[in-house]
Amino acid sequence: MTAESLHLLLPEGLSASAVADTLAGEVPVVTQKAHAVERTFWDTFDGRLHAAGLALIAAGGRLVLADATTYDEHAAETLRRGVARLLATDFAPGPLRERIAPLIEMRAVAPVARVRSRQLPVNVLDDIGKIVVRLRVEEPTAIAGEQRIALQPRLHIVGVLGYERAYEEVHALLTGAMGLVSTIRPVQDDAVAALGGFVGGASSKLRLQLQAAERSDLAAVAVLRRLLEVIELNLPGTLQDTDSEFLHDLRVAVRRSRALQRELRDVFAPEPLRAFRDGFKELQRVTGPTRDLDVQLLEFDELAAGLPEGAGGDVAPLRQLLEDRLVVERRAMVRALESDRTRGLLDNWSAFLDELPRDGAASGPAAGTAIGDIAGERIAKVYRRMVKMGSAIDDSTPAEALHELRKQGKELRYLLEFFASLYPAAVVKPMVASLKQLQDVLGRFQDREVQAELLRSLGDEIAALEGGATALMAMGVLVARLGEEQARARTEFADSFAAFAAKSQRKLVEQTFGCRG
Amino acid sequence: MPRVVALYNIKGGVGKTSAAVNLAWLAAAGGARVLLWDLDPQGAATYLLRIKPKVKGGARKLVGGKSDVSALLKGTDHERLDLLPGDFSYRNMDLELGDVKRPTKGLARVLTPLGRNYDYVLLDCPPAISLASESIFGAADVLLVPLIPSPLSLRTYDQLRRFIAEEVSKPPQILAFFSMVDGRKRMHHEVIAELSTKDAGLLAAAIPAASDVERMALERRVLAQFAPRSRAGKAYEALWSELAERL
Repeated sequence: MTAESLHLLLPEGLSASAVADTLAGEVPVVTQKAHAVERTFWDTFDGRLHAAGLALIAAGGRLVLADATTYDEHAAETLRRGVARLLATDFAPGPLRERIAPLIEMRAVAPVARVRSRQLPVNVLDDIGKIVVRLRVEEPTAIAGEQRIALQPRLHIVGVLGYERAYEEVHALLTGAMGLVSTIRPVQDDAVAALGGFVGGASSKLRLQLQAAERSDLAAVAVLRRLLEVIELNLPGTLQDTDSEFLHDLRVAVRRSRALQRELRDVFAPEPLRAFRDGFKELQRVTGPTRDLDVQLLEFDELAAGLPEGAGGDVAPLRQLLEDRLVVERRAMVRALESDRTRGLLDNWSAFLDELPRDGAASGPAAGTAIGDIAGERIAKVYRRMVKMGSAIDDSTPAEALHELRKQGKELRYLLEFFASLYPAAVVKPMVASLKQLQDVLGRFQDREVQAELLRSLGDEIAALEGGATALMAMGVLVARLGEEQARARTEFADSFAAFAAKSQRKLVEQTFGCRG
Repeated sequence: MPRVVALYNIKGGVGKTSAAVNLAWLAAAGGARVLLWDLDPQGAATYLLRIKPKVKGGARKLVGGKSDVSALLKGTDHERLDLLPGDFSYRNMDLELGDVKRPTKGLARVLTPLGRNYDYVLLDCPPAISLASESIFGAADVLLVPLIPSPLSLRTYDQLRRFIAEEVSKPPQILAFFSMVDGRKRMHHEVIAELSTKDAGLLAAAIPAASDVERMALERRVLAQFAPRSRAGKAYEALWSELAERL
């Protein structure tokens, strides 16, 4: 059973021993020997465990999943030496993996902060010498390489079941007479902040607050600057292959940048912009094959689950082939991303964004126009285009038309994300929701086609491998199944498009984004 | 669900309480979350852990399902070991159980709401064989029986095993260990040698008759706190590691 507990921060200049001495003057205490504890806190890059109120702690050769503030242990396993990151599948089957896998999904956990603490346990006793409150003074230091940063000392109070009154008395003494202040921020957050990391994980979200009257060039720079940050943030993890989500987030930021370059092209002078647009297009191209293979492998188990019972293993040669290809493609991608060309592109783009508001020659004719005017017009225009394209789609329309519609859907989604802060959430949120539903259907339609196409293209290669004939037969089953799923997505299109292009929705778009009909 | 181990013997004064508190402490020290329930109205285990032998509402409310059992728990000096204290009203446990439906499940019902919070529950049981004992057999996964190496003690142990085999519908596993062993007595050696060949449930670890064990009542602490390296302290450690393997 768990008793009450609380963290208090020690004011500057108050040491652990001074706290123990002051307490000893007020209540019977027994001070135990101070000891040092070293813990390394692990999390995903985007802080999924932190968001779930959990801490994954490596200490003494164990990896423990615990409550982030009380450190009550939920599950644990032995930590192998020299491990730098763990995917869900790297954990041994058991309670820790069961608990952690749905939280981290495809992300890896890796160390985010190392903390060495001197801890002084002080127990408060009753009149027969029984422990009735446990206190622990902690003097933590954040460690990164040779760097040592002393963090604010803290005092942990933990009650003992059945001795609640003693807890209240000691709590009152510490927060009243001794003036300590309670905190809910765990020591690992202090360490991450002190070491310059992202408390709660790094976000790839835009989180922009624009003003409708703002100049378009300034608004564009704000959005593009944040997107460049996201690209730079995800580049190291992409190069090190920490997990597949780094490349995903990097590519989304590149695609968003390209969408904005395209949609706000009149804000920039044509010439420098053309070179950057080419550069970003190339960035998208060199990262494409690796991402495609990442997706194939992430979805492989789900795909293989479509085979008849007992035949799941038949496609093992296919997985091996995809993994081998991924190694080759990844190597090429890393080479391209580490090239002077990519570095130059990102540095020049950064310098361009810095200079744009000051450099008249880099500005286009719409640079000074209020962003509210341009954004609304662009959103309404893309929306109208989608309504027109979608309305022309029927059962006999070629697949390409649905793919084109999906591309426009992405463009609209990005515009809504960039400029959400300019419009009422009550309009933007349902619009994004209906768009998302439509995009899900279109995405499934296209993905199944791409997957089936990939399987067909690998046929000859698979057939030549050992066990290839069996794999080929299994792949035939999968291709048929993908075809069925694609056909199902197509039948769902009409309903999701009808919701997206409903009359009421069209009216709302025209009213909100204030456009010429 | 936790594994429930009842320290039980029909006879008194065989070292049940000493074993219960020392084993509970060692289990907690090994990382497990442990609850010790002092079922003896004398409250000796409660006393040893420096806790007041008082349960609000007494045995009647507890087995009658009228108490919030989690509010009755007391933390001990080991942060992973909690105690459901002894209470003098437990002397009426038979009567109270007689008043509830399915009395042999009465004690198990008290433990049910605490289930997920603990890895082990140890029951320090009063001597005698009664309705309360049958309820203990219904709650326990393992009966751990301390035996003094004497012919009369073995006879009682035989009676117990027969009773459980014949009368208990879902009998707990029975394990035993020798307690209060005096190495100078030839009879102790003979009895131990004899039972060792006959009983697969007999654990190899044996607890010596030692003044350190008696001193526990003076110190009001378990051996791991004041004499962990003593002969008796090591014997309890060996007993716990052997028992843990069987659980």
